[in-house]
Amino acid sequence: MRPAELDHGPGEAQVADEHGIQADDELIMHLEPDQFVAATAEPVPRAPLGPRAKAVLWSLRIFVVLVSVMVVYTFVDRLH
Amino acid sequence: MSTSEQAVSPLLGAPPLTREDAVRSFDRSRVHHARRHDRRWRLLWLLVGPGILAMLGENDGPSMIAYASDGAQYGLGFFVPFIPVLFAMAFVCQEMSMRIGAVTHRGYGELVLQRYGKLWGWFGAIDLTLTNVITLVAEFVAIRVGLAYFHLGAGVAVLLGLTLVLFTVSGGRYWRWERIVLGLAVFNGLFLAAAILVKPDVGAVVGSLDFSPFPGGSFNTLLLLLASTIGATVTPWMIFFQQSASADKGMTPSDLRHGRYDTAVGAVLAAIFGIGALIAGATLLSHGGAGIEGFAGAGFPGALAHVSGGATGAVFALGLIEAGAVAILTISASIAYAAGECVGASHSFNNSPRNAGVFYAVNVGVALLAAMVILIPGAPLLSIALNANVLATVLLPVSLVLMLMLANDRGLMGAYANKRSTNVIAVVIVAFVGLCGAAYGIDSFLQTIHVIGS
Repeated sequence: MRPAELDHGPGEAQVADEHGIQADDELIMHLEPDQFVAATAEPVPRAPLGPRAKAVLWSLRIFVVLVSVMVVYTFVDRLH
Repeated sequence: MSTSEQAVSPLLGAPPLTREDAVRSFDRSRVHHARRHDRRWRLLWLLVGPGILAMLGENDGPSMIAYASDGAQYGLGFFVPFIPVLFAMAFVCQEMSMRIGAVTHRGYGELVLQRYGKLWGWFGAIDLTLTNVITLVAEFVAIRVGLAYFHLGAGVAVLLGLTLVLFTVSGGRYWRWERIVLGLAVFNGLFLAAAILVKPDVGAVVGSLDFSPFPGGSFNTLLLLLASTIGATVTPWMIFFQQSASADKGMTPSDLRHGRYDTAVGAVLAAIFGIGALIAGATLLSHGGAGIEGFAGAGFPGALAHVSGGATGAVFALGLIEAGAVAILTISASIAYAAGECVGASHSFNNSPRNAGVFYAVNVGVALLAAMVILIPGAPLLSIALNANVLATVLLPVSLVLMLMLANDRGLMGAYANKRSTNVIAVVIVAFVGLCGAAYGIDSFLQTIHVIGS
């Protein structure tokens, strides 16, 4: 398969042809297996979180709630 | 993914190829060719981009006005050596961002969402969008200020910004987008030209490298000055952008060395051009700061023209237009990446608008939204431009901590996870930058409710 067949417009096909990148096997060998769209579309699993990571995330939650109120208030006030 | 955009490879067991794969593979073939034939400069040329764009994109309109304002208010002392220190810290953060993108081939938004849950993923994307739209308004204001020097109005600023966005996204290739924006970003050097035109005292510039004199004023003013400058050097959009752009460019672990060169060159250029704006602004210090009251940049080009000649004012004004334009392109791209990653839609410049509708629509839509704001009669543009960084306060520490967690995630990064020595430096910098950002937000709030004086 040539890039032109994947393309919905003529531009890319021209560029690809100029540099002689046409065949499927050539296309595939230039990408790492986990670099294909099909591979990156698969979600990575949830991270197993230890107590320290959980503590960090909870601290971030508290930080976000507290600072959000202050920052939004400040921003709105300064608009006037 | 629609069946129309993919075709099954004839090779047994190979994943289905999409247009995005084909285009990215073509770009990678050039990298492989340059590497195989030991064409070092060619290889560097092919692999630079995301780092320089993140760093020079952060040298945006409001930032350059802030540097010039620092120079006009406090002179060269302290800030000349301080700006390179800030960009050295930015380098450490952005290197991690690039490395995660090159190793995982995924953007920051999707990794956080998938690895740490929807709460953090969506929080990051929504907060990023909100703060970035505000920042985009500030960029249009910067373009407007630059154009005002040439007696052109807000309509021209909107037209220029939107035309650039539409032109850059129209090619359906990451490479094309990147090269056009890099070409524009080179003109960030106009601030260095402005510094040369004001004929600075070289001895005074060199003499300021010992961090003295320290800026005067109240403790609170100093805290705000330092915190806002630090908080504005590493911003959430830079992290989102460089990771996603590195993945979109197709970078792999074999490109990490060049990715570091790219980020380092970006940091050095951004520091030099930032100091250029500082030196240009410092000219106004010796003239009593005449004509720059109120700042927000409105009077800067005119004041420079008055003190140092029309050429200096024109160059500074052109620099503001460039800084705003490049930031509009990079920031709207970072929002588009984040949106596509969070909704699970295609998010690549290598895909066509037909197949990546969300990505392209958000890219153009946020720029359009920001452009419309500056056309609203009586809109508080000055306040928006000055306070855009306040909103980023919430996201900055969160973004940095989650990025640090990703960089240490051996399940994702394997052998490319942070080393202990990198971690020590990174933790100190992330804690310092995060705390300064938080201190800025809290201090601003306490001033607003008159608990402490300004």
